[in-house]
Amino acid sequence: MKISFVVAFKSIPIVLHDSTYLHEDGSGLKFETLKFYISNVQLLQNDVAVFIEQNSFHLIDISDASSQNIILKQNKQINFNKVRFKLGIDSITNVSGAMGGDLDPTKGMYWAWQSGYINFKMEGACSSCLLPKYDFEFHLGGYQYPFNALQQIELKTISKNNFNIVLDINQFFTAVGLSKQKQIMSPCDDAVKLSSQLANCFSVK
Amino acid sequence: MRKYVVVLMSFFLFAFVEKESLFTVPANFSQPVYDFSKNPLTEHKVLLGRILFYEPMLSKSNTISCESCHSPFSAFTHIDHTLSHGIHDSIGTRNAPALMNLAWQKSFMWDGAVNNLDMQALAPIAHPGEMGSTIIEVVAKLNATEKYRKLFYNAFGDSTATGEKTLKAISQFMLTFISANSKYDKVMRKELVFTEQEAKGYLLFKKNCSSCHTEPLFTNGNFENNGLSRDSALNDLGRMKVTKQAIDSLKFKVPSLRNIEYSYPYMHDGRFKKLSEVLNHYTSGIHQTNTLAPQLNNGIVLTSNEKVDIINFLLTLSDKEFVFNPKYHYPK
Repeated sequence: MKISFVVAFKSIPIVLHDSTYLHEDGSGLKFETLKFYISNVQLLQNDVAVFIEQNSFHLIDISDASSQNIILKQNKQINFNKVRFKLGIDSITNVSGAMGGDLDPTKGMYWAWQSGYINFKMEGACSSCLLPKYDFEFHLGGYQYPFNALQQIELKTISKNNFNIVLDINQFFTAVGLSKQKQIMSPCDDAVKLSSQLANCFSVK
Repeated sequence: MRKYVVVLMSFFLFAFVEKESLFTVPANFSQPVYDFSKNPLTEHKVLLGRILFYEPMLSKSNTISCESCHSPFSAFTHIDHTLSHGIHDSIGTRNAPALMNLAWQKSFMWDGAVNNLDMQALAPIAHPGEMGSTIIEVVAKLNATEKYRKLFYNAFGDSTATGEKTLKAISQFMLTFISANSKYDKVMRKELVFTEQEAKGYLLFKKNCSSCHTEPLFTNGNFENNGLSRDSALNDLGRMKVTKQAIDSLKFKVPSLRNIEYSYPYMHDGRFKKLSEVLNHYTSGIHQTNTLAPQLNNGIVLTSNEKVDIINFLLTLSDKEFVFNPKYHYPK
């Protein structure tokens, strides 16, 4: 059983570095880094969990194709009509010290100067981001009240088999408005707000 | 049956003694807060951590190690330097804290920005004014060094260094920094007695200082504004930088006073060189702001003789066995 994450701009899968994507406000966007944590994956049938993945932490990194597939280890055929997961890392894991695998701090998803995982990291350039450079940097995270950025997402599924979850970055930029906000580097009100806007940009396809 | 029990008991005793040599909770201390079940100490891991602690490859320019600012001979701080130094002769914004009894510490850094001892080393490694590197770069350098491949194999049964293993090994060495053999501790254990002046100082200390510098760690682990005037050049708001809450403005972690004789200068910015200056601050230098610790609203009232008594008591917190213990020194 496989869930594949597709990070797209409108319906086109994003490729790092070279491709330019045109936002409806006229900005041209390029991406250098785009990675995020998906955790605590569950399948539900009529709102009852029928599969709960153990030790469920996945770094989805669009520079690494294999990271975009989550293989759920379960043998028997189960019926489900909803998937539930978290965008980011829960607070207990955030205070539990050094961890390995996708949670290893060498993955570049851990703040050095202030403890905590970066739930979502997106860096790139945008023709409408004028000053100081044409850059945007969204490092969204934070686990402590009142800046807990962790998001729970529930999506209806249509098939009993493998399915795709699409994250549409165009939708995120429409919600955010690039001219206003392009640098978030620490836990804060805006990181929480943007995380909840980002959570609305996932859909099952 | 009896023989079996004896064998079993001696096995447990052996296991206990073996463990005790790496980490023992001192009789007058509470249980540590560090979760050893996630990182059980072993001799090889502590040794790896010790070698890493003295490893200048942790810095971008291969010149600065943890020990550069945390020397064992000053209870793991940087004496005579008000602010910490880093690569290319850069100077930081805060005074390197002394390191000891870290297994009992709830948070790290003067502002509590780090929530677990394992993650502490990430901050100086990445700080542009300290080591100016990244854990990614450090792990790559370690993996390219034959010596470390052997050390990681001995410690973890796998020669590949990772961020997790590197950080956990450094934690292991730092967890062994236990200071609990000062004269104060020996008096508490009834092995020694205070002089008359030390005893007077101890009573004054308990009355005036111990609400924040709580025994036996000599810190309550909390963040307080102790009435220091704001340094306009550094403009350091302390804990507020982490929580972004106005009530935390100008609050810094209450430091332990253990080994204070060795760990000058004092305060988060190292502004006081002598203990007498510290006491003068508390009696006549308190700067009133909204977030001042309420105990300090009217300053502390002490005669000059009483200040000398308190200093005499504070000197009983010096732990020579800790500061000069060869097990913490540069690994041969």
